[in-house]
Amino acid sequence: MTERTGEATAPPAGGGDATHTLGLLYPPSGRGGNYTTMQLAFIGGVAEAATPYGYDVLLSPAGTDTDASFRRMVGERRVDGERHGGGELGADGEWRRARESRAGGEWRGTGESRAGGHRRGEGQPRAGGDRPGEGQPREDGEGRGGGRARVDGVIVMEIRREDDRVEHLAEAGFPFVAIGRNHRADEAGWVDLDFAGLAIGCVRHLADLGHRRIAFVNRSEQLYKIGYGFARLGHEGYVTAMADLGQEPHTYLCGDDLASGEEVVTRILADEPATTSLVTMNEAALEGVYRGLTRHGRSVPRDFSVVGVAASPWAEQVTPQLTAAEIPAKEMSRVAVELMVERLRSPGSTPRHVLLKPLITLRSSTGRCLPVPGSEPEPKFPDFDVDF
Amino acid sequence: MTTFDQNLGHYGWSPDAATATISLEGIVTGWSEGARRLLGYRASEVVGRAAADLLVDREATGFSPVGSQEWSGAAALRHRDGHRVELTLHAQPSLDGDGATQAFVVTATTGTPASQRDRWMVEWAFAQSSIALSTYSAASGSWRLNAGAEVDPLGEARSDEGFLRCVRRVAEEAMPMRYEGFAPAPAAAARQRSWIVELWPVRDPESGEVAGVGTAAFDSSEQYAARQRLALLNEAGTRIGTTLNVGRTAQELADLAVPRLADFASVDLLDSVIRGEEPVPGPVDAAVVLRRIAHQSTTEGGDVPEAAVDLGGIDTYPPFSPPARSLTSGRPVLSGADDPDFARWVAEHESRAAIVREHGFHSVMATPLRARGITLGVAVFVRGKGSPPFQQDDLILAEELAGRAAVGVDNARRYTRERTNALTLQRSLLPRDLPKQAAVEVAYRYLPAGTGAGVGGDWFDVVPLSGTRVALVVGDVVGHGIHASATMGRLRTAVRTLADVDLPPDELLTHLDDLVSHLTSDDDSIVRELPYTGGVGATCLYAVYDPVSRICTLASAGHVPPAVLLPDGSVSIVHLTPGPLLGVGGLPFEPTELELPEGSLLAFYTDGLIAHERDIGVGLERLCAALASPVPSLEITCDAILKDLLPESPSDDVALLLARTRALHADQVAAWALPSDPAIVADARAQASRQLAAWGLQEAAFVTELVVSELVTNAIRYGDVPIGLRLIRDRTLICEVSDASSTAPHLRRARTFDEGGRGLHMVAQLTQGWGTRQTPTGKTIWAEQPLPVG
Repeated sequence: MTERTGEATAPPAGGGDATHTLGLLYPPSGRGGNYTTMQLAFIGGVAEAATPYGYDVLLSPAGTDTDASFRRMVGERRVDGERHGGGELGADGEWRRARESRAGGEWRGTGESRAGGHRRGEGQPRAGGDRPGEGQPREDGEGRGGGRARVDGVIVMEIRREDDRVEHLAEAGFPFVAIGRNHRADEAGWVDLDFAGLAIGCVRHLADLGHRRIAFVNRSEQLYKIGYGFARLGHEGYVTAMADLGQEPHTYLCGDDLASGEEVVTRILADEPATTSLVTMNEAALEGVYRGLTRHGRSVPRDFSVVGVAASPWAEQVTPQLTAAEIPAKEMSRVAVELMVERLRSPGSTPRHVLLKPLITLRSSTGRCLPVPGSEPEPKFPDFDVDF
Repeated sequence: MTTFDQNLGHYGWSPDAATATISLEGIVTGWSEGARRLLGYRASEVVGRAAADLLVDREATGFSPVGSQEWSGAAALRHRDGHRVELTLHAQPSLDGDGATQAFVVTATTGTPASQRDRWMVEWAFAQSSIALSTYSAASGSWRLNAGAEVDPLGEARSDEGFLRCVRRVAEEAMPMRYEGFAPAPAAAARQRSWIVELWPVRDPESGEVAGVGTAAFDSSEQYAARQRLALLNEAGTRIGTTLNVGRTAQELADLAVPRLADFASVDLLDSVIRGEEPVPGPVDAAVVLRRIAHQSTTEGGDVPEAAVDLGGIDTYPPFSPPARSLTSGRPVLSGADDPDFARWVAEHESRAAIVREHGFHSVMATPLRARGITLGVAVFVRGKGSPPFQQDDLILAEELAGRAAVGVDNARRYTRERTNALTLQRSLLPRDLPKQAAVEVAYRYLPAGTGAGVGGDWFDVVPLSGTRVALVVGDVVGHGIHASATMGRLRTAVRTLADVDLPPDELLTHLDDLVSHLTSDDDSIVRELPYTGGVGATCLYAVYDPVSRICTLASAGHVPPAVLLPDGSVSIVHLTPGPLLGVGGLPFEPTELELPEGSLLAFYTDGLIAHERDIGVGLERLCAALASPVPSLEITCDAILKDLLPESPSDDVALLLARTRALHADQVAAWALPSDPAIVADARAQASRQLAAWGLQEAAFVTELVVSELVTNAIRYGDVPIGLRLIRDRTLICEVSDASSTAPHLRRARTFDEGGRGLHMVAQLTQGWGTRQTPTGKTIWAEQPLPVG
């Protein structure tokens, strides 16, 4: 602790057992259970934002409250038979196992943990409390067989519409902040992107350019079904915006991979060959979407416009660069940490909710809607006359 | 050499004289060859006969060969052929040792005694002539001089080879000649004595043979001096004023005057003349500041130790000094050591006094340099020891020389002023420091035409436009001279103005074309200057480069196309639709777009760069080659191109503008699409604020948010979709809102305005500039603010 007192903002006084650690619950969503670039950006953002406040970050891939990792973090007794150590960052095997085990009704342990985890300051002067680092408290915690939280508060990510982690934390009264939101998260602070608004913005942008036949490429069916917030919200926004335009919505679920992207274009054009543009929430499939368009003889942005919601590295890597609403990972991380710190400092205050609505960054993938190719003589394009 | 005797009595005893001896009995006993020539008888025919037989009238003479008196008298004698010969006879007794007369010697001379005296008069006149006369005898090689010749300098000339050659020629060729001789002058500047010697052959009247040479010498020093002055003046006409350079002209005067007129000469000009100002007409005040512009002396070597003032130094003359007096009076002044003012002037100036002592300066002339009623300065001529003092004639000569030099100096001054004016005008019309902008890195050269052609009408410009774009302009007004420059200035200003309105290149040229047509119809003088073009005759190339899109849009009005060097090293001439010349009117200008990779090098130039090649194609090829050779900097590239392509002294002026393109990357530009929804304003503000935070420009957030709110609100309220917001972080922070409506609330940029909404007023107050520009799809309103410091 001594090193940290020098910080501009000291960690909130929480008694001798303050861990000066924030938990980050973040199940990897990439293929093969890896973190995506986007997710890594969030993780980095949280760690970076927490440091000035004197917090370290403990990362857990827990997707459900039954994950051992989750329980360890909040200081609840381990689920029987669970391995200790290793694999925290690992694997969706663990996540799945944990989820499965949830059916086994591990709820019993929750209550205990609530008592043990929440009532900080109950005593137990921390051995080596002056020492920095994660190792010591963890050893301690293990030594006592659990029951003590390893973190002061938890930032929860990848929130589903029904999310047992949020339920668990809310019921337990464990301080948490959500990146993303659902109805339960309102009890705590959250920061989220206005996905519905972004989808509406995307549609409007295309409409401003004269497009009317606009398709929507969502995330994978699996994520959509789990109730991934932004997939649903985006869908809703799109449908609303299309209704405002008086147009029929065409929404497509699309796997987070290249082939799915290529395939979805085929579906779109099969359903409505006159489609001139699409809105995509699926950055992972973007490359595939471009390929599909090229395969179908549509040149972006001349005769097909694509607009999306994507982090800038994705949007800038493709050619032409994607006009897209930014996902401001860094800013969201920062806001989340701020909300967390507020919550820890004044636990009684009303939780704050921050809904970010980034604008659509203009790059090169959208253009004015042209008449369907062939129906009118093509307007002349400037002669570039560059015969270098 | 013998001298003629004053008493010419011996003359009668020449061996050729007609003499005879007569005995006391009156018999001829001796007969000379002269007598034979006179009367025709040979001695054998006469000796022994009575002398009286030779007389026409035996009794008429009254001479009797008795007694011992001399007798003289006229007698008529009969020639052998019978004709009568009137003679004067002198009979002188020939005495023996006792004094008794033995015989008479009779000498006969023709003519009367009076004519004989006249002949002596000729001799005497020769002998006593004030003109130096002499005779040269070819036979003896000796000279006879008369009294005048005794003192003449020809004494030395007779040993002069040139003169002797002349004498020999006269003798041989029997032709009169004239010889001009000089006595060496004691000092360089002293008056030289000269003589004209008339030489003529002297013939024996009988045989016609040239017996000798007669000479007559005249002192021609005056004439000679006059001729020398004329020659000097004549030379002044050709040697002074060879250039239109003030200093050179002054130096020419000094060089000409030394050593022929003076031992030391200096030229001082009014400081105002050197500065190129117009001097006041009339004599000047003595207190005027003079600057030494030229001097020369007889001292060998480059430096002039006689000068009291260095070249370029300030010289002041007290009012009583000769130079000051000549300046105030406007007339030349002759002065010297005997003039107390001279002495006082010299004494006042320590170094001058020392110089005067050392070189023995004793005579000085000061003449004002006046031309067209304007006093330009003063020339001072000085003579030192060994040279005679200046005379009145020298003063006149000095005045004349100074007058000619003054006209030359005045011409040079006027020319210099005119040319300086023209060049200044042109330079003032060309950009000196190009405005700072970040879109392109530029280097440029402007070379006026070589001597003679005068200033030209080439120009170039770099105009920063809104949104970090930049306009690159190069143009050429046909013709030379101040008129071309002035027209160029008008066009350049017009281009700047039109560029400021942010017109696209083709439209801008259309407006410029209209303007030139109006200029032509308004200004008759231009038509007179260039009758064959029927107008101004100008070309222009206008290009706009946008570092965000990296697109360069060009339009040309009959101008030579630019060359472009791509980063991969390939060079080419840009294919442009050339377009008509400005002022032709009626034909459209077509824009050409180039997408340039970052770091492309554009070369804009005027035809002077390539036109001196016989084939323009060759010029273009050489330009491309010069552009392609790798050099470290644009400046060096400029120099290399000019060196490679231009001759020593180009006949046309040349403008060259090189621009290396930059590109603004994603970290400097952010653009967003905005729906036409008032609710978006807050999001736009927030987004702008986030962007500024990402750029580390939080300090600019307050103003930027206000600007964004105002502009976005206006666009939503009055504009058409699509609406875009763009932030550019470059040398300044630029906020742009564009929409699809081309109606702009205020077309003109105004920093203060009394009309318009409060919103824009606020924007104007908070930013360092704002404006609107038309785009192909609508309009853009922009506002620019300085980047926060640090």
